[in-house]
Amino acid sequence: MSVVVREVSKWFGAFRALDRVSLEVGRGELVALLGPSGSGKTTLLRVIAGLEAPDAGQIVIEGKDTTRQPARERGIGFVFQHYALFRHLTVFENVAFGLRVRPRGQRPSEPALRRRVAELLATVQLDGLADRYPAQLSGGQRQRVALARALAIEPRVLLLDEPFGALDAGVRRELRQWVRELLHELHLTALLVTHDQEEALEIADRLAILRAGRIEQVGAPREIYDQPANAFVCEFLGQTYRWPGAGTPTAAATEAPVAYVRPHELHLSREPAAGALAAEVRAVRLVGPQVRVQLALATPAAPLVEAHLTREQYAALALAAGERVYARPLRLYRFATNGVTRGPWR
Amino acid sequence: MNQADPLVLPTAARAAEPLHVARGTRRPTAEPAPVRWLLIAAATLYLGLFLVLPLAAVFTQALQHGVAGYLAAVTEPAARDAIRLTLLTAAIVVPLNTLFGLAAAWAIARFRFAGRGLLRAAIPLPLAVSPVIAGLIFVLLLGARGPLGPWLADRGWPVIFAPPGVVIATLFVTLPLVAGELLPLLEALGAEEEEAAVLLGAGGWAVFWRVTLPNIKWGLLNGLILCNARAMGEFGAVSVVSGHVRGLTNTIPLHVEVLYNEYRFTDAFAVASLLTLLALVTLLVKHLAGEHTVAEPGAPRAGREAP
Repeated sequence: MSVVVREVSKWFGAFRALDRVSLEVGRGELVALLGPSGSGKTTLLRVIAGLEAPDAGQIVIEGKDTTRQPARERGIGFVFQHYALFRHLTVFENVAFGLRVRPRGQRPSEPALRRRVAELLATVQLDGLADRYPAQLSGGQRQRVALARALAIEPRVLLLDEPFGALDAGVRRELRQWVRELLHELHLTALLVTHDQEEALEIADRLAILRAGRIEQVGAPREIYDQPANAFVCEFLGQTYRWPGAGTPTAAATEAPVAYVRPHELHLSREPAAGALAAEVRAVRLVGPQVRVQLALATPAAPLVEAHLTREQYAALALAAGERVYARPLRLYRFATNGVTRGPWR
Repeated sequence: MNQADPLVLPTAARAAEPLHVARGTRRPTAEPAPVRWLLIAAATLYLGLFLVLPLAAVFTQALQHGVAGYLAAVTEPAARDAIRLTLLTAAIVVPLNTLFGLAAAWAIARFRFAGRGLLRAAIPLPLAVSPVIAGLIFVLLLGARGPLGPWLADRGWPVIFAPPGVVIATLFVTLPLVAGELLPLLEALGAEEEEAAVLLGAGGWAVFWRVTLPNIKWGLLNGLILCNARAMGEFGAVSVVSGHVRGLTNTIPLHVEVLYNEYRFTDAFAVASLLTLLALVTLLVKHLAGEHTVAEPGAPRAGREAP
């Protein structure tokens, strides 16, 4: 294991930012920490980096207990959300910083340093921009400088805090693909904080879902998407709607069991069928390749749900607002309790 | 600032805007011409009366006995002693307050500790206290009848009515100037660059010299200049503790007062012109430094990014 987080807790005054968090990251693995804001993702990253001291628990990096090791000795690469580039230094000097502040014996000679920085700038495709200042770069370029600067110290682990958060959607998609390939190429262990689930699902080898300082579920993106461990994960990841009629409370649970449906797993038909609920079409919106049909279920509470159809499916049905259809979930995600307002889990 | 940056384009377009406005029409938000002229005239007249005129008077009065008289006034022994003490005081006070200001601003901006709020609130106190009261505090504390006075006198360390008193009083009144300049700057900068430097392996010293100081240097210079100007020009507090011992505890402002009281008006103005010149140089440097402080930290922080 490259990074092991064992039972780590962190308090900020009376606020518990991390609550006995445990997580293992294998060598060369890219793990995304995903959760709503305030769930403790960034705090966990800062604790691993040594920027915050945990109140309890242990951090082990490459087999060595680093819980009490100063941040500067941990050899961890860190990419900040807003890059934190040294604004008074050129791109070249930003990347060279980690090499220049090494103790005298380990500092590379000036020619060696120049070669190394040039290599790194080539890796992040910024060859021509060595003499620019951070203020003269675009967001995507700054982000790549930050990455090159972090890689310069040959880190054992790379931590990325919302690395694509401040970028435009287009640049963002392109850059995250590129970063993923680069990390795999370098065989670097990496932890990435994000609140963008699409990003997490797309680039991570594994996901850890956080909520209120606790890890709710860890697993491969597909596993978490298909088998959410609880109602929170189910509601958080992807678009979901409550589906009525999940049952009555059992003796053990104080709350009624819940069931969720995903919009792309809802089948619409004009004929009633087993398991289908009658619904009224409220609105139909075309979003790119998808047709989003908003439905009001014909149950007493008349909850609104959405079904996503392909254009072909939609054309076959030819639905219009106000019409009656029958909606049948292809798949239901059932949970014993709706723990979204209640904790702890299990 | 950065020609290659596509960000510049909208700014350039905005600058070109007035070209499309027909000549003679005013922007919808502008006041009518008579109002504008009235406001400008009032401001100019006010500045002229209360700023330019007195300033000009200092130099004309100072040169009433010609250049030779001017030089004689500023080089006579009493004047030279006053200049020496003023320079000495500034040479002690400015570095000490710079160190304190850096340490205090850094501590308050970067750490959460017990008493942080109190320290923050206490720093501007010397600016709020009347300088005469400030001087009096030290006379009462360190003077012959104060709790520490006899102890100091026994050891032959006279403080009040001696140069050390002048230094201490000046230290007190100029204490907030560097810290007050740096604190908002450090808070606006945030700790991220420093954290990045630490994670790249930099020790505390390297972080300060390579990251923090370059980011605050213009603000620091600004604080230094203000501190120096006040240290050299302070009258009230110094007047109380100095005892006006000619050749020993007179600073430039006190010497000016002595000359004035002796009806040597031209000499008084000549010596006063030295402080006036200092003020002008201070303003000039502050203006240059101020331009950097405003422009530098803001620019790279820009939230909008080019594609």
